[in-house]
Amino acid sequence: MPVAASAIYFLNLRGDVLINRLYRDDVGGNMVDAFRMHIMQTKELGTCPVRQIGGCSFFYMRISNVYIVIVVSSNANVACAFKFVVEAVNLFKSYFGGAFDEDAIRNNFVLIYELLDEIMDFGYPQNLSPEILKLYITQEGVRSPFSSKPSDKPVPNATLQVTGAVGWRREGLVYKKNEVFLDIVESVNLLMSSKGSVLRCDVTGKILMKCFLSGMPDLKLGLNDKIGLEKESQLKSRPAKSGKTIELDDVTFHQCVNLTRFNSEKTVSFVPPDGEFELMKYRITEGVNLPFRVLPTIKELGRTRMEVNVKVKSVFGAKMFALGVVIKIPVPKQTAKTSFQVTSGRAKYNAAIDCLVWKIRKFPGQTEPTLSAEVELISTMTEKKSWTRPPIQMEFQVPMFTASGLRVRFLKVWEKSGYNTVEWVRYITKAGSYEIRC
Amino acid sequence: MAPPAQSQRSPSPSQPSGKSEVSDLKSQLRQLAGSRAPGVDDSKRDLFKKVISYMTIGIDVSALFGEMVMCSATSDIVLKKMCYLYVGNYAKVNPDLALLTINFLQKDCQDQDPMIRGLALRSLCSLRVANLVEYLVGPLGLGLKDSNSYVRMVAVIGVLKLYHISASTCIDADFPVILKNLMITDSDTQVVANCLSALQEIWSAEASTSEEASREREGLLSKPIVYFLLNKIREFNEWAQCLVLELAAKYVPSDNNDIFDIMNLLEDRLQHANGAVVLATIKVFLHLTLSMTDVHQQVYERIKAPLLTLVSSGSPEQSYAVLSHLHLLVMRAPFIFSSDYKHFYCQYNEPSYVKKLKLEMLTAVANESNTYEIVTELCEYAANVDIPIARESIRAVGKIALQQYDVNAIVDRLLQFLEMEKDYVTAEALVLVKDLLRKYPQWSHDCIAVVGNISSKNVQEPKAKAALIWMLGEYSQDMQDAPYILEGLIESWDEEHSAEVRLHLLTAVMKCFFKRPPETQKALGAALAAGLADFHQDVHDRALFYYRLLQHNVSVAERVVNPPKQAVSVFADTQSSEIKDRIFDEFNSLSVVYQKPSYMFTDKEHRGPFEFSEELGNLSIAGESADNVVSAQRVEANDKDLLLSTSEKEEAKISTGNDSAYSAPMYDASSVLVTASQTLMEPAISNPTLPGQATQAILAIDDLLGLGIPAAPAPPPPPPQLKLHTRAVLDPATFQQKWRQLPVALSQEYSLSPQGIAALTAPQALLRHMQGHSIQCIASGGQSPNFKFFFFAQKAEEPSNYLVECIINSSSAKAQMKIKADDQSTSQAFSDIFQSALSKFGVP
Repeated sequence: MPVAASAIYFLNLRGDVLINRLYRDDVGGNMVDAFRMHIMQTKELGTCPVRQIGGCSFFYMRISNVYIVIVVSSNANVACAFKFVVEAVNLFKSYFGGAFDEDAIRNNFVLIYELLDEIMDFGYPQNLSPEILKLYITQEGVRSPFSSKPSDKPVPNATLQVTGAVGWRREGLVYKKNEVFLDIVESVNLLMSSKGSVLRCDVTGKILMKCFLSGMPDLKLGLNDKIGLEKESQLKSRPAKSGKTIELDDVTFHQCVNLTRFNSEKTVSFVPPDGEFELMKYRITEGVNLPFRVLPTIKELGRTRMEVNVKVKSVFGAKMFALGVVIKIPVPKQTAKTSFQVTSGRAKYNAAIDCLVWKIRKFPGQTEPTLSAEVELISTMTEKKSWTRPPIQMEFQVPMFTASGLRVRFLKVWEKSGYNTVEWVRYITKAGSYEIRC
Repeated sequence: MAPPAQSQRSPSPSQPSGKSEVSDLKSQLRQLAGSRAPGVDDSKRDLFKKVISYMTIGIDVSALFGEMVMCSATSDIVLKKMCYLYVGNYAKVNPDLALLTINFLQKDCQDQDPMIRGLALRSLCSLRVANLVEYLVGPLGLGLKDSNSYVRMVAVIGVLKLYHISASTCIDADFPVILKNLMITDSDTQVVANCLSALQEIWSAEASTSEEASREREGLLSKPIVYFLLNKIREFNEWAQCLVLELAAKYVPSDNNDIFDIMNLLEDRLQHANGAVVLATIKVFLHLTLSMTDVHQQVYERIKAPLLTLVSSGSPEQSYAVLSHLHLLVMRAPFIFSSDYKHFYCQYNEPSYVKKLKLEMLTAVANESNTYEIVTELCEYAANVDIPIARESIRAVGKIALQQYDVNAIVDRLLQFLEMEKDYVTAEALVLVKDLLRKYPQWSHDCIAVVGNISSKNVQEPKAKAALIWMLGEYSQDMQDAPYILEGLIESWDEEHSAEVRLHLLTAVMKCFFKRPPETQKALGAALAAGLADFHQDVHDRALFYYRLLQHNVSVAERVVNPPKQAVSVFADTQSSEIKDRIFDEFNSLSVVYQKPSYMFTDKEHRGPFEFSEELGNLSIAGESADNVVSAQRVEANDKDLLLSTSEKEEAKISTGNDSAYSAPMYDASSVLVTASQTLMEPAISNPTLPGQATQAILAIDDLLGLGIPAAPAPPPPPPQLKLHTRAVLDPATFQQKWRQLPVALSQEYSLSPQGIAALTAPQALLRHMQGHSIQCIASGGQSPNFKFFFFAQKAEEPSNYLVECIINSSSAKAQMKIKADDQSTSQAFSDIFQSALSKFGVP
């Protein structure tokens, strides 16, 4: 059985119950006390997200300032339980309009109770799709769609949607202007050794879509990925066009994508949900273009002085620029005084995180600003305890750049009424965990 | 360890005490109850919200039950929902009041709005009051036939709820049969999925008592049903897909075509966005191909990419769940991720539970080609700010060294750790160097040179100190200062809190004495004197033992204390392959995360004895100083190793906590070689009967003393006809204690009759049978094909107990038994009774 959760709790950071729902009687009366006593009030908190206390297992996740705890008494499916929590939070967010925190829960507790009843029954997950649930659980709590217009006949339709098959799209949508927005968002993860060699580097990307389309449109997306191109050239029996092709290590799709067709024809075709959704996710490890190179030199001059020089090189096109670049350069705890010189942006010492924080709001391509800093340390009595240097961390966003080189070749929309659509495509690369050891 | 069943927690001062508010609400609700004025619903709604919010923060508002029910006559659906929620919460504690609600709920079940029908039915089934079940049957029956799928979906789960309130009512109403039909015929996939969940639960629970149910349960795994569901899998939502895939993983394919059909059908599920679906699919693939080695390997190749994606996407908690599975897979097939080791490099900001698993992965995937990179990376973590992770990574380096043939580079690294001059790094490295020397004595020269430079003053942790002392004793001929360092340590004997260290000190000084007598004689005298005066029983006994040995004959003493040792070739594996297979069978569940089969943590009967042992561990933590805890836990671990079966050894290890985790292999008594090279155990070689008792230390002290009395050489009198007590009683704690203390009297393997195997569908079946033969069961667990039982019996005339551990494998038709007895002379007679009882099982 996938989950069969016995109870679900929402706690604030102090351990007060914000909301709870007991689905089954097989766990003891107030399991939340056990959770508080054995996990929240001990050092255990945060050491492991799955814990067994007595005969019950607790799965817990912290999301902003709320702990969500699922209690099970059987040998449950862990992956499914965590995924359920994540999806439930997404659902709540879509109802609250963005934020999910203690206040949001307190302000909407009746709504959450309603939702908890619908998304899980007797511990088994039911329907978590916001599109469908919003049909009959509305924030205002109006009457159910079945009875609102008894003379109308949306009943068979709506019920099918409430429980069923084509869970992601309603029929009969009408938009004046038919638009599709497609965003390719990549986050690039890097781990570079202190000697400047790349230890690990990969890109996790996702394609986000926003569809405002009438009727039941059929969409087809073409990318410059290797398998898709090869298949296409095979089908059309002509040699593949030269140019960069991307090898995707692994792809996962939104449930709307016809996977059978993807496997046979290697094209991504789908009937999209209405509004915003994540079409696909992919992962790439080969041929990643790193947008930035970081060249640090850190010298410890005696026990009380340090010299830090960091050069950051942007290696994307000169016409492009990165936004919100932040470089965090760690310094020892006993830092007393710092002085900087930067050729671009602004830097300051942040004692709370023991870092020099260097911010560059707009960072053009093919440039290499530098930071040179002198750090004075308080001399300490503990000798020889050398400072273990944490890695330099970097944050950035580079619009119109993909670290993988992935491009959209076409996005086609068919609908039986044959309306015209406007398609918007954007690319952006963000820093995932971008770490440079020094 | 049962969680404290505390009552509602007392409201904190900031919260309203409740009483006056409740009576306020009561009067307000009463006013509104009969009113039909416009806008009354809105004010009701506000009041209801208040009631629910009080309920949530733990104030008892059950006093409002009557008023709430009166107000429930409304057409407002939100009001209804709040009312249902309230009723569901309090009905169980107020069964009389719950009766009040039946009427309006039943009425709502016939509402023309399917939403209200569904909600009312759900609430009706959630009342959980046993004497109201008669009112459920009718509405449920109608609900299952409802034209609206929402109502049917609710009704199906309602049947399951009814089953849990009153199984007989549910069965008598023939609901399972209706569900079975519904599952095949209903057009709505969620109804089908709920039918499947409900039927699985009901028939699994019924299977132990009813053969028909057990047949039905098997029926769910039949080809038509599995194919029917698999063919529709795309129509199910993601959660229901997990359910169907879980079922498919249990399906036994009829031939290879069957296997390929299913795999082709499910291949695209590996691309699903929901990680739970992907993992469930992987389980199907792995289990289907178990018998086909080649295809099984290809499956590993195929699932690699999706698994690696799952690790890096999603929240850390999800990564944790996936990494646990990767760890299980990599133990079975180390090659699969050996070229992808970089995926397991830790990121600086990851939570430590993820890092820890990644370190384990790095250890597991290390092979000839990637060791250098992996060890280099691990060395980076040794300087990590997060000390537990730094320690783990040093241990990981050590583990890799112990599993590799080419250890040159690694030894150098370890020795560098010793020079890093961080206390915890030195401590971990010392323990590792000691283990390394036991496996590769040829490295002693290089290692000793470095170890000799370490000042014993900088080593405080007992484990590390013990390791250092062991090396001082073992290699005293190569270390110039050994006798003098030992002498210094002996001088501060009284300041040494850890008994483990003192024990090692005694042995080390003995060894040193045999190699360099003139220099050590004084130290030895001082050590023995201090040892004899020691308050710790073990230390005292060992000192006395050495003293007498030396008095008896010095060369014999040398043969006992410092015999030539062989290098340890393989450190004992901590987990039996049987257990690993069991965990693999339960892929995609908690077992994988806990690294133990589910019967160990879900089975209430089985859990019983362990709770006791856990408590014991906790007691010692509470009662003694930190140093003693280590030894106490260790002794306990030893104890269990000797006396309990492999499966429980796991439990024991885990319960002793992290402290002993990395030393686990060296204390594992299942390998005599390991034990023998452990300084503690040296007597083992000269006297093979000793080690068992010697290690039992505290708990088996009686046995140890018993050794002093010459054993009666007279042959035991012929056992009289053994009669067992028909109503023997033994509580789990006593059983557990006896099981620890008694040695194994008999250990036998025995074949079961085919009828017996056929009848053994669940543990319970055998229990009743054995009870008929005056043999009681105290704990049992497992699923086909492996079952495990603990039985006991008592002699009819005197309170003399027989304890039996019996492991039955129904696929090989073998039963393994270990018998322990208070009166060992009659254990054979008891064994005969037991076997004859077992052989009659299943024979009509």
